[in-house]
Amino acid sequence: MLQLTDIEKQYRSGDPSPDFTLSVPELTVGRGEFFALLGPSGCGKTTLLKVVAGLIPAEGGRVWFDGREWTDLPPEKRGFGMVFQEPLLFPHMTVKENVAFGLKMRGWGKKKRELRAGEWLDSVGLDGLESRLPSELSGGQQQRVSLARAMAIQPRVLLMDEPFSALDPQLREKMRVLLKQLHQEHQMTILFVTHDREEAFYLADRIGILTEGRLLQADRPRNLYEKPSHPEVARFLGLRNVIAGRMEQSRFHSAEIQLPMEGARPGKGWLVLYPECFRLNPSKSDSSTIPFRVTIREVIFRTGYYSIQAEVGNLALNIRERPTLKPPRPGEQRTAFYPVSKLHWIPEEKGGE
Amino acid sequence: MWQRSKPYLLIAPATGAMLLLFVGGLWEGVLQSLGYRPLVGQSRLTLQFYETLLSSADFWRSLGLTLRVSILSTLAGGVLGLMISVCLVMLAGAGPFKHSRFWRHVFQLPLLIPHFVAAYLAVVMMIQTGWIPRLMFALGFLDQPADFPVLVQDRFGWGIVLTYAWKEAPFIAWMLYPVLYRTQEKWWEVARVFGSGRWAYFREILLPLLLPAWMTASFIVFAFTFSAFEVPYLLGVTYPQMLPVWSFEMYTGGDLTKRPAALAVNVLLAGMAVFFGWLAHRTGRRFGLLEGGRWE
Repeated sequence: MLQLTDIEKQYRSGDPSPDFTLSVPELTVGRGEFFALLGPSGCGKTTLLKVVAGLIPAEGGRVWFDGREWTDLPPEKRGFGMVFQEPLLFPHMTVKENVAFGLKMRGWGKKKRELRAGEWLDSVGLDGLESRLPSELSGGQQQRVSLARAMAIQPRVLLMDEPFSALDPQLREKMRVLLKQLHQEHQMTILFVTHDREEAFYLADRIGILTEGRLLQADRPRNLYEKPSHPEVARFLGLRNVIAGRMEQSRFHSAEIQLPMEGARPGKGWLVLYPECFRLNPSKSDSSTIPFRVTIREVIFRTGYYSIQAEVGNLALNIRERPTLKPPRPGEQRTAFYPVSKLHWIPEEKGGE
Repeated sequence: MWQRSKPYLLIAPATGAMLLLFVGGLWEGVLQSLGYRPLVGQSRLTLQFYETLLSSADFWRSLGLTLRVSILSTLAGGVLGLMISVCLVMLAGAGPFKHSRFWRHVFQLPLLIPHFVAAYLAVVMMIQTGWIPRLMFALGFLDQPADFPVLVQDRFGWGIVLTYAWKEAPFIAWMLYPVLYRTQEKWWEVARVFGSGRWAYFREILLPLLLPAWMTASFIVFAFTFSAFEVPYLLGVTYPQMLPVWSFEMYTGGDLTKRPAALAVNVLLAGMAVFFGWLAHRTGRRFGLLEGGRWE
């Protein structure tokens, strides 16, 4: 089990106040777990991964593995594997030599390591290319070799730093499938860094959302989406209906809307409305749904649904509707119904803004 | 048709001049070494001069000295050059650019100085009444300047070796610098994660990538020091002489009968340089030392 406690890392550009601070009070990755660190570019994901690998020293905090402190252990002694954004294969070594590199550093004999390298090249679908040089491979093949190189050493933790971001979408999809299959087969502990929501949700058992150096929430993908504990988490997951307001006497109040909500903690906070839960033409409307009188502003057909921009007064709402519906026209006034059970309240003291 | 032949026509004058002067000169040298000198009435080819040379103890002594000096100069220059190129890359990566440029100029300096000037500098600096002994005496490192070891015009050839090492190390460094510069800092991170320490990284990654360029540069230095004349002429002793000096003195000594032997020495030098080049290439291939050259 990998554990991080009170990790602090600061970057300065001259003046004493730091330009960027990475602060992770606690993060645990269980044995065999696939954990994805999800966040926008420049949020500190790669820095955190390099702190875990031992390639960057943290200014504060500790790194533990299976109950032993590894904070000051050099990277070459940690037994981790890593796949970088670029394949970073050694250009003078053949594919097989690259895959066997980590085994060679561990003192494995030539025959044994070549056998193991061959097995992993089979696993990533590159059998027959053993004696090629990296320059003779495509980008996707190179990244497969990089994956095989990391997996061949059977690392205690496999660290992956946006490994598929340089590949084209089709290839990225194939690599995701391959990685998921390999994880299921070998049950490796994986810490995966990405800015791609879809990728994180497809692959990970748990996801941690990191923005501006802070780990905002770590949870299972569905919980994260359905119960974000921070407005930034909701926004990063693509939810645009995050409305600041106040909860008083089981009612939500904002400048534009007021609506009932039982059981929510009173005080300031944010209401999250899921775009896919709105219905413009419901089969039934009763007390379990809340009507919103909206003006349609924009209707765009996306892959498999209509993305509708609507307004309630000055409040912009994002609605997602099935394509079976005859789409509304911009300027039209419609009633959108939202189920009460799908209202999600983030109290300020929890959200921390 | 014109488009296809144009490049060949454009390089024809340069190629013609080179063939005439280089190959013609070589041909003339080989013929004269075989005793072909129609001007003095000798037009019969003979291996007599080669036989005399190969059976002379002086030749073998000179060859021994020449090989010793060339090998030591190449090794010293090669190791120094490798160290300089690593330093240059580290300076370029770590310090501000102006510092890196300053050190690049410092390391480039020996390249700008002609060999005979380098040899003269070596005399001025290292002779027992030179700058270095006198400076060491002034600083109290020596009781008297004459305690400084004899490094100029010594029988072993240390002065020649040191001068060549100083002069050729930057050449090797500048041949290695582009290769080292292309190595990515991230490879070090990759290697560390996979269990490599500094030495293993040097042995497994840097050295194989550097070896082809290092071997090529070192061979050029070897071929040069093996057959160059100025430095051993100024810094060497009168006996034994390095082969190029011996050849020069036989050729310019005024005794025309020694000229074929002088040219036979040159032909043997050229032949041995080609042989060592072939040997270096074959050894490199045999032990996989040239694999780093597959890097595109």
